[in-house]
Amino acid sequence: MNINKTQPLEYSTEQGRLNILGFWIFIGAEVMLFATLFASYFTLFDRTGNGPSGSEIFEITPVLIETLLLLTSSFTIGLGVHAMRIGNKQAMMSFFIVTLVLGAAFLGVEIYEFVHYVNVGAGLQVSAFTSILLTTLGTHGLHVTFGLFWGIMILMQVKKRGLTPQTANKSFIFSLYWHFLDVVWIFIFSFVYLKGMM
Amino acid sequence: MKELFPAKHVMGFVFSLILTGVALVVYFMDMSFTAGMTVLLITAFAQATLQVVLFMHAGESTDKGSIYVSVIYGIVIAIFTVLGTLLAMIWGYV
Repeated sequence: MNINKTQPLEYSTEQGRLNILGFWIFIGAEVMLFATLFASYFTLFDRTGNGPSGSEIFEITPVLIETLLLLTSSFTIGLGVHAMRIGNKQAMMSFFIVTLVLGAAFLGVEIYEFVHYVNVGAGLQVSAFTSILLTTLGTHGLHVTFGLFWGIMILMQVKKRGLTPQTANKSFIFSLYWHFLDVVWIFIFSFVYLKGMM
Repeated sequence: MKELFPAKHVMGFVFSLILTGVALVVYFMDMSFTAGMTVLLITAFAQATLQVVLFMHAGESTDKGSIYVSVIYGIVIAIFTVLGTLLAMIWGYV
């Protein structure tokens, strides 16, 4: 195998480099997926029927907690990739664990939020607005859930095999995915919550 | 310990917290819809750019041309989807 020593480990093989490019193309497709959800959300935003509107059910506190958790987790996984590049496996694994714990906490707050919505009469089938709201938030939440399991698998591989071109490449691609989830959340925070409470 | 917290990352994190704070202005202050949306659009896209360029290392691979093309393509389609839907479903009727 041809290993290019001038590049960080995750880019050091041609396969690894192309895996990263391929993942960016996947992220481009994910951007479009979330665009369709946002487009539907903006269209159905005031179709509340007999159900509540956004400003009646949104609460700033859980939303701020979720935002801070996800922003911090994006920061810690960035530090994890940095630690990986200076070859510090222990620090890298610690940062990835912190990231996953923050992600799990985010998910916990989001589940609380969903239960709260159902309790105040904003379940999935109440109106076009609640349907698209819960679908948009839920699609992001499902991505985070998937990311948690993916991250655990990555950590197990790094623990078992150490930092090789392959495990470094997988870890880096996972970090891209995690940062992307944070980007999507920033748009949900701005254009679903803040716009709805404005 | 210090080498684990590079200044660039810490600054990026602080900057993203500041942008979140600025976006919160639309909640705590009484603003017109246009002014509020302008603030949100600027802070959201600034944060997204910060993440992609700083934390996702988009510009450092030898494939950076292809990476930027695929991301920008995704964003252009996203903008067309959102604005086109708004035009067809909402703006076209008022």
